[in-house]
Amino acid sequence: MPEPTRQSPTALGLDPRRASWKAWLLLAPLLVWLALFVLLPTILLIVTSFSNRDELGRVVYSFNWDNYRRCFDPTWLSIFWDSIVYALLATFICVLVGYPAAYTIGRASPANRRLLLTLVMVPFWTSFLIRTYAWISVLSQEGLVNSLLLSSHILPTPLSMMYTPFAIVLGLVYNYLPFMILPIYTSVEKLDNSLVEAAYDLGAGPLRAFSRVIIPLTRPGITAGALLVFVPAIAMYAITTLMGGGSNPTIGEVIQNQFTRARNQPFGAALGVLLMLLFLVCFFVLGRKKNSAHPV
Amino acid sequence: MTDSTLLGRAHFFRLPDGPKLVRWFCGSWTALVFAFLYLPIFLLVLFSFNQSKSGFVWEGFTLEWYDALFHNRVLLQAFGNSLLIGTISTACATFLGTLGAWLLYRYRFPAHRLMETFIFVPMIMPEILMGVSLLVLFVLFSLPLGYFSVIIAHITFTFPFVLIGMQARLEGMDPSLEEAALDLGATPSQAFFKVILPYLVPAIASGALLAFSLSLDDYIVTVFVTGAASQTLPLKVYGMVRVGLNPQLNALSALGIVLTMFLVFVSERLKQPTPGETL
Amino acid sequence: MKTIRPLILTLLALVLAACGKSGPASPPTATTPASAEPKKLSLFCWSEYVPQTIIDDFTKETGIKVSVENYSSNEEMLSKLLAGGGKYDLIQPSEYTIEALIKDGQLLPLDPGALTNLGNIAPEFRAMSFDLGNKYSVPYMAGFVGICVNTSKIKTPVQSFADVFVPANKGRIVVLDDAREIVSWALGSIKLGINDVTTENLALITPLLKKWLPLVKVYDSDSPKTSLKNGDVDIGVIWSGEAALLYAQDSKFAFILPDDGAHLFVDNMSIPKTASHPQNAHLFINYLLRADVSKRISDAFPYYNPNLAARQLLSTEQLANPASYPPAQKISVMQTFRDLGQLSATVDELVTQIKAKGK
Repeated sequence: MPEPTRQSPTALGLDPRRASWKAWLLLAPLLVWLALFVLLPTILLIVTSFSNRDELGRVVYSFNWDNYRRCFDPTWLSIFWDSIVYALLATFICVLVGYPAAYTIGRASPANRRLLLTLVMVPFWTSFLIRTYAWISVLSQEGLVNSLLLSSHILPTPLSMMYTPFAIVLGLVYNYLPFMILPIYTSVEKLDNSLVEAAYDLGAGPLRAFSRVIIPLTRPGITAGALLVFVPAIAMYAITTLMGGGSNPTIGEVIQNQFTRARNQPFGAALGVLLMLLFLVCFFVLGRKKNSAHPV
Repeated sequence: MTDSTLLGRAHFFRLPDGPKLVRWFCGSWTALVFAFLYLPIFLLVLFSFNQSKSGFVWEGFTLEWYDALFHNRVLLQAFGNSLLIGTISTACATFLGTLGAWLLYRYRFPAHRLMETFIFVPMIMPEILMGVSLLVLFVLFSLPLGYFSVIIAHITFTFPFVLIGMQARLEGMDPSLEEAALDLGATPSQAFFKVILPYLVPAIASGALLAFSLSLDDYIVTVFVTGAASQTLPLKVYGMVRVGLNPQLNALSALGIVLTMFLVFVSERLKQPTPGETL
Repeated sequence: MKTIRPLILTLLALVLAACGKSGPASPPTATTPASAEPKKLSLFCWSEYVPQTIIDDFTKETGIKVSVENYSSNEEMLSKLLAGGGKYDLIQPSEYTIEALIKDGQLLPLDPGALTNLGNIAPEFRAMSFDLGNKYSVPYMAGFVGICVNTSKIKTPVQSFADVFVPANKGRIVVLDDAREIVSWALGSIKLGINDVTTENLALITPLLKKWLPLVKVYDSDSPKTSLKNGDVDIGVIWSGEAALLYAQDSKFAFILPDDGAHLFVDNMSIPKTASHPQNAHLFINYLLRADVSKRISDAFPYYNPNLAARQLLSTEQLANPASYPPAQKISVMQTFRDLGQLSATVDELVTQIKAKGK
């Protein structure tokens, strides 16, 4: 059984092997899958985004830039911006709320660890729509919070919480929190304890140890979690509609509308392609940061 | 005894943060997070016993909704479909994701970066676009819409989640682990199955859990690629929820929660001697 | 040899049968006997619109197994139907979608001989402009879009759409999340027809929409009654069936059909030309047209039932619900939506723009 070393993996300078034909063979299923069900649909989507449509909304293949030109109308840009703000806010709160929990779970005994991890996921085995509707019963004017506040005479009139930006962010945080906790947990779980102890031995306080040692070591988990929360949150529409009442349209709703109401698939596809480009940029920026942060 | 369990035992509930205050803070924070996660669930369970058909006022205890649920053939069938689709697609996605993450970590392929980028496309593609583009694709291949098309779609959007979790774990792996195994005379495949795979188990478990939850919960992609026979639970639930929360759905959620909790506790009991296995 | 001969004969018979079947002069028509079809039916309908008990009873009676898929907007149905691959036998489009589908040749002409219960439908619903004489579609259920008021909270009288969108109601309004609907109300309130959607008229109503939409708190087409019932809003422009359910629970919810532009919608049953079980689909349509069956649809979804025979079976309470059965003279002047074609994207864009700026 090899002793765990205290060096970071890159410090050892181990080069990945050149791929042999066996490695290629093993990779083949993944490659075929990527080509058929990721690459091909993406190409179809890009082709659609340059096309036209007929009266019934069927795609008429052609080539023009009109759909992209329309995307840069100030209306859509401001909706884009709002969606980014909501998603960023939700991601940030998820890190704040999720990190200490993930850390505690990751430091528990193996049996407790698995138990707690499962407990994080269990609520998510009910439909997200039912969960979101349950929140309505908490937040609405005749809901739980308001009846408690009113009956205990803390407030004279009910608070209006449903159908506000607060409700949207709460809905997003509730639904994506596990996607933050899981990857941070994975990072914390493999955190080398002796590094942290060394920090204490060298006289670091808990805050210093946390910010200088624990956070940098668990950064891959935070990055992964941020991606897992931010990306779906930006394009989410069902939760934002249910909790926000639809008066704060998000880019996900706009895209959805092109397919389910406006009969304008090409424009929806164009907005979607732009959204994906934005994600790719985030992905590369975060990826680069992750790599440059490594040599501790 | 695997390496990960040794590591785990080593800091068995030893928070390295020194002061009790930190431990106390972390513990109570986690409790609050769980309260937040379970508040709506608790209400769902409570309402599932409420006589009132709609609204949040308690009107007395009843088991009526459970009875109605057990006679709701449509929901039960949709639940069966969801479990079947979820199980098959989770198995495939976990296999694809684990193998892919390991190969991409261990070997250098031409166009490596491009491959990695494409793996993340399903994660960043808004669900509705994925649904529509897969629908166009299946029609292009004249693949009839049904179980098969839904399973393909679910594998496609779940496996990157498995893969990304696996990569986070691999990034922190000690590379000398495998070297040492090879030095001690193990073949590369032995090294993979005896050393690497056990190390990856926590990530595989959480990846599979995530994939299963995603598959079980998906509405948007499924709605585009399903046929009338392969209706999943979220599709039926969505239809019912549209006209207001139905107490039968509360009962369904309550049962789902209780059942999963029960299974978790049973598997904990059974697996006590061999920690580190999948849940 | 003994065993092979019958086998060859059977094979020959099968080949002959196959040749006869694939002969040029036998396209699938509704007139071939129902027994020729497998006992299956694939139904593509609005979610929560066809009660499950009715489907179960149909299966009990005929042995035809029904699989159901749901959609929540006409366009969602269109995109799946037109993509192909789903093989639906029966769809449930609204009036303007029927119009577009007929124009595009997507529907199978119905066989009147197989629809013996068609006489139950009220005469006015057999002469709808989108499908005169029910050649391609049979009405399933109809309804209106009107104003629902929580009279315990809002005391001022409400007669028109303009009365809903007043500053005093800011943050207390729910409306359908449907650009076409919203635009039709504005058109009505400046005395234009609900189908007069042109670029010029859209420009005319833009200032009005800019005044109206910032007052709205909730946009919800799926279940607008939820926010009204929970007290988060006090007034709304919603489907009549939703208002009827609210009224049935609590009579404080009044339903008003405004004089300026209330309209009628009709949801129908149609058979796509790609259907593989058209005879079974006819059987199901005819079953839904039966008075006792249609009455049960009304029990679950209290919209305006176009089936006169079924209406006679309803209770006086059901018929007295002002949201389900408003005065006849109000209904007779109402119009239905025509298909907008490409303009629907323009309408959607206009409303989304104003929504986003109105915060």
